[in-house]
Amino acid sequence: MTASVTTAGNEPEAPAAASPAKKIEGRSLGQIAWTRFKRDKAAVAGGVVVILLILLAVLAKPIESMFGLDPDALHQDLLDADLGGLPLGDWGGMSGSHPLGVDPLQGRDLLTRVIEGSWVSLLVAFGATVLSNTIGTVLGIMAGYYGGWVDTLISRVMDVFLAFPLLLFAIAISTSLQGGAFGLHGLPLHILVLIFVIGFFNWPYMGRIVRGQTLSLREREFVHAARSLGARGPFILFKELLPNLVGPILVYSTLLIPTNILFEAGLSFLGVGIQPPQASWGGMLQDAIRYYQVDPQYMVVPGVAIFLTVLAFNLLGDGLRDALDPKSN
Amino acid sequence: MFAYIIRRIFSAVLLLLVVSAVTFAIFFLLPRVAGETADQLAAQYIGKNPSPEAIAAVKQNLGLDKPLYAQYWDFLRGLVSGAEYKFGPEPATCHVPCFGYSFKNHLEVWPELSKRIPVTISLAAGAAVLWLVSGVATGVVSALKPKSIFDRLSMGIALAGVSLPVFFTGALLLTLFSYEWPILDNLQYVDFTDNPLMWARNLILPWISLAFLYSALYARLTRAGMLETMSEDYIRTARAKGLVERKVVTRHGLRAALTPIVTIFGMDLGLLLGGALITEQVFSLQGVGQFAVQAISDNDLPKILGVTLLAAFFIVACNLVVDLLYALVDPRVRLS
Amino acid sequence: MRRSRTVALTAAAAAAVLVVTGCSSSSKSGDSSSSSSASGGGGANAATKNIVNASDKKGGTVTFEMKGTPDSLDPGNTYYAYIYNFSRLYARPLTTFNPAAGEEGNKLVPDLAESMGQPSADGLTWTYKLRAGLKYDDGTAISSKDVKYAVERSNFAPDVNSNGPTYFHDLLVDNDTPYAGPYKDKTGDLKSIETPDDSTIVFHLKHPFADFDYLVSAPQTAPVPQAKDTGADYVKHIVSSGSFKFESYEDGKQATLVPNTNWDKSTDPIRKQLPDKIQLKMNIDQATIDKDLLAGNAQVDLVGGGVDPQTQAQILQNPKLKASTDNAYGGRLVYLAINSKVAPFDNVDCRKAVQFAIDKVSVQTAEGGPIRGQIANTVLPPDIPGHQDFNQFETKDNKGDEAKAKDALKACGKDSINTVISARTERATEVAAATSIQAALKKVGINAEIQQYPQGKYLTDSAGAPQFTQDHNIGLMMMQWGADWPTGYGFLQQIVDGRAIKASGNSNLSQLNDPAVNQLIDDAAVNPDKAAREKIYGDIDKKVMDQAVIVPLTYFKVFLYRPDNATNMASNPAFSGEYDSLNIGTTK
Repeated sequence: MTASVTTAGNEPEAPAAASPAKKIEGRSLGQIAWTRFKRDKAAVAGGVVVILLILLAVLAKPIESMFGLDPDALHQDLLDADLGGLPLGDWGGMSGSHPLGVDPLQGRDLLTRVIEGSWVSLLVAFGATVLSNTIGTVLGIMAGYYGGWVDTLISRVMDVFLAFPLLLFAIAISTSLQGGAFGLHGLPLHILVLIFVIGFFNWPYMGRIVRGQTLSLREREFVHAARSLGARGPFILFKELLPNLVGPILVYSTLLIPTNILFEAGLSFLGVGIQPPQASWGGMLQDAIRYYQVDPQYMVVPGVAIFLTVLAFNLLGDGLRDALDPKSN
Repeated sequence: MFAYIIRRIFSAVLLLLVVSAVTFAIFFLLPRVAGETADQLAAQYIGKNPSPEAIAAVKQNLGLDKPLYAQYWDFLRGLVSGAEYKFGPEPATCHVPCFGYSFKNHLEVWPELSKRIPVTISLAAGAAVLWLVSGVATGVVSALKPKSIFDRLSMGIALAGVSLPVFFTGALLLTLFSYEWPILDNLQYVDFTDNPLMWARNLILPWISLAFLYSALYARLTRAGMLETMSEDYIRTARAKGLVERKVVTRHGLRAALTPIVTIFGMDLGLLLGGALITEQVFSLQGVGQFAVQAISDNDLPKILGVTLLAAFFIVACNLVVDLLYALVDPRVRLS
Repeated sequence: MRRSRTVALTAAAAAAVLVVTGCSSSSKSGDSSSSSSASGGGGANAATKNIVNASDKKGGTVTFEMKGTPDSLDPGNTYYAYIYNFSRLYARPLTTFNPAAGEEGNKLVPDLAESMGQPSADGLTWTYKLRAGLKYDDGTAISSKDVKYAVERSNFAPDVNSNGPTYFHDLLVDNDTPYAGPYKDKTGDLKSIETPDDSTIVFHLKHPFADFDYLVSAPQTAPVPQAKDTGADYVKHIVSSGSFKFESYEDGKQATLVPNTNWDKSTDPIRKQLPDKIQLKMNIDQATIDKDLLAGNAQVDLVGGGVDPQTQAQILQNPKLKASTDNAYGGRLVYLAINSKVAPFDNVDCRKAVQFAIDKVSVQTAEGGPIRGQIANTVLPPDIPGHQDFNQFETKDNKGDEAKAKDALKACGKDSINTVISARTERATEVAAATSIQAALKKVGINAEIQQYPQGKYLTDSAGAPQFTQDHNIGLMMMQWGADWPTGYGFLQQIVDGRAIKASGNSNLSQLNDPAVNQLIDDAAVNPDKAAREKIYGDIDKKVMDQAVIVPLTYFKVFLYRPDNATNMASNPAFSGEYDSLNIGTTK
């Protein structure tokens, strides 16, 4: 997934941190940002969609059981067996009871599968983002604050990671661990492996941003002040520096999530991500590609789901960046 | 300057060595994490009824019985001086650069792999030209007239572009232009040297689907960079000096805004050259990416290693070129 | 298991690693006109019964296209049915299958040998006489010693020629100190193959084996001159004994064959040598192949797995195109193996519950409908001699019977069962079928979790490793099986003989070890009478179904398109229903 890496790499100069910031000022800055954000209609729309998506993902299972939807329920009576199991009727078998149609061979309801796929996509994307940002933040702060050999070491490690063909590694690792590893198998294993391969190789991007921010912050007065008051390294790192990095980390995370959603979809598309019958957006697309000429509907449904989700996160991320970056106006 | 180049090349080579060592270690450890023994690894190369002797022979040929560092050393030596594998009526030679020897189909990895490189280069280079031109141009025009209709429209499209998975765009393009209106059907890769026209015709859809994604990214980046630089003091100074606006934009604004873009371009191109896996998959292009996917699904270790290293090489090489270009343009870089 | 590997390839091709091709098959009608104007095609399924477009017309170029690449074109290093088929153009085994359609195609005929093998009275020695006047493409004479050498190199050098099966290795008497193969032991040889003169070859077996004539139909008995054997590189310059010889070979890309001028029609009653040139193009996308077939630019899809789902839908909707298709059995069974060693399926009633619960129509649809397989109730497919029609576990319309299943479950002393059903990741239809089974089992209280494993390791590390299935509670396993040769023995032995159970690479997934079944297999193997043997295989089938360890799902079918400009097209069941390569010509 070339795209993912680019977006990550493309993250423009992270917003300059929000000014020297003492407690009171910080809050007012937050208020300013919030006011700005509210004015950005696209960002608000993105934010609303993101919240709805998160709700959908969290509530996917309850929603399914409430409406008696089963993502794996077969409706093969809606298929034309003689034609190789394609849905009967136009538009992939759209009907009142199956508003988005059904899939070939098994006749499973596409709407239900899209709903079911949402939690997988978001869980993996969030998990991977948290993983890479945690590693990136911790190592980035350390590199930036301690400097010297710590910085050199961490920076070189980042160089090595950045030179890895990420997607290739992700595929190779997911393939070899698919059968079972660490005493796990099936869906939990696949989700964990995906979070790991996506998150673990992506951290240097975050690491570089945080390192740069820390470098500029550590010479600020409030750090000097803390140091002269006898505060030690870890305290300064996490009590003084980290709060000032929340802005860039938040913005970057919001923009990394859609990248990771695409990454997960890409891996599932290549057949090394989430495995059927578990519904996942990338997996549905992979399956649908076999039928794109005779049943294009099947391809469009998960494609649009991915598109809307990624778009919403991007809108939100852009909006947050503009709101938190004083230079953006 | 010369010393700088040497230094950069040296560190790039060092980086490659580290990357290859780590790659080696990962692929060495992975099967063991999944619980496979060296015997099992060897057995998969020898058909249905692997006898203990045959397993031992393959283990020896593959070096599976040696410790990790020795295997890595053998690999490095093979790159420089080739290798020989003893089986069959006469030993099989693996010529320099020996990226390994696939015991699955008894072929040297490098000749197989190098056959794929032109395909991937064609794909990546063509798309790169397309996205650089369209992305940067869109970005500049948008930045010069922020909030204009053109700006809003193009940035909207760009946002859509970065939000669409390339496998979806590619499949859609195929559906439309290869099936519904078959103006571009029968897309098989043709060598540039065989028929440049067919080469371009058959690659245009993959180029577009890749370029759509990247030009969207680059347009957004260029716009942001331009907006930032155009508000810098020195631009104001330039204007105050009475410089023509066109010159202000090209001489000063664009130059500064392009610097980060070139860096990113180097990385993107490097990554793509190592195999545009998904695009190659969608358009059935037999490039480096397909080679990688095939090698991985065959679990053919020497091939996986070879292709990973090639991909890493492209990434490092592209970054190196970008760095050297900077040094050429901006003397300050050399001294830092 | 030669054929199931073919399926592996096509299934993987069609499914998991998806491939959208640049060249979708174009408009439905445009291309068909060119092909339908040629001589009459004979209607749908004509080539499953007769040779369609039978012709002696010479000339032209016949083009074979294939998805992916073969394991090897080297006759001593292949296990794909389509190479078994194709290699006969340039490599003549001792016996081979009749180039014909339907049952005729399942018949063995002598090829390099002048007649079928002569077994000794004790069944331990088989003797073949080579025809007179046989020559390689370089004009040198073919000796029985070259046949012996071919068997040695293909069976005793697994680190060089690793792809093929090793039946000869397992069946022939070994030397006192085990023979290390011709590459390691350059002076020695395998003593149990004797060549008293240049036209006679004698095989000494460990135990009687009635199907030996079938065994020698493998390309492994096609002669290879030792002086020309370069091991793994032999594929680059194969010496021809058949009607065509290699003009060029480019690995992974193309092979070109031209008529072998040293081949003598008088030594060969089955080959015709029609075209001026035969091309084999590799690594072509399935959609391109389909399109080329429809346009008549290619004559045969070598892999023979059938057109892709999209082309299939287009063809089925167009009667004119449909008339040029063959929907043939592939000699394969798609089934669910019930693990008789994993509780509670060690109890026959629990196994019966599964038998009754499964909705086979649903499974069939999930696999792509009737065109991809006919609902099965026996282990032996209908195109394997010995097949008898019966149904031990009848349910209405084959849709499963909840009541009967629940009764069986009660008899087994269970209300519900938790188990795991395994399938191969790369095979989308296999996973889809498993999903159907999962849904049907759920209705009667059997909760089966679907577990997927990579197909490359399915038989070595997961489903085919009994300890692994035990550890992971794998009670049900998706499986597909095809015989290496079309007899009951070739089909059944590996999957139901208790002595075939192995710690790894096991294909008797049910781990059935029934003395009665084992005994019947032995009886059949030594019985010289064909009809009697076939009767026994039918009996074995019934015995296995009594044990309820295998749920037959569908008899696999392929859906092939046959261009009208291709002559002598016959869907041969001995090669998974593919078109027999031997005499295909073209009117183009």
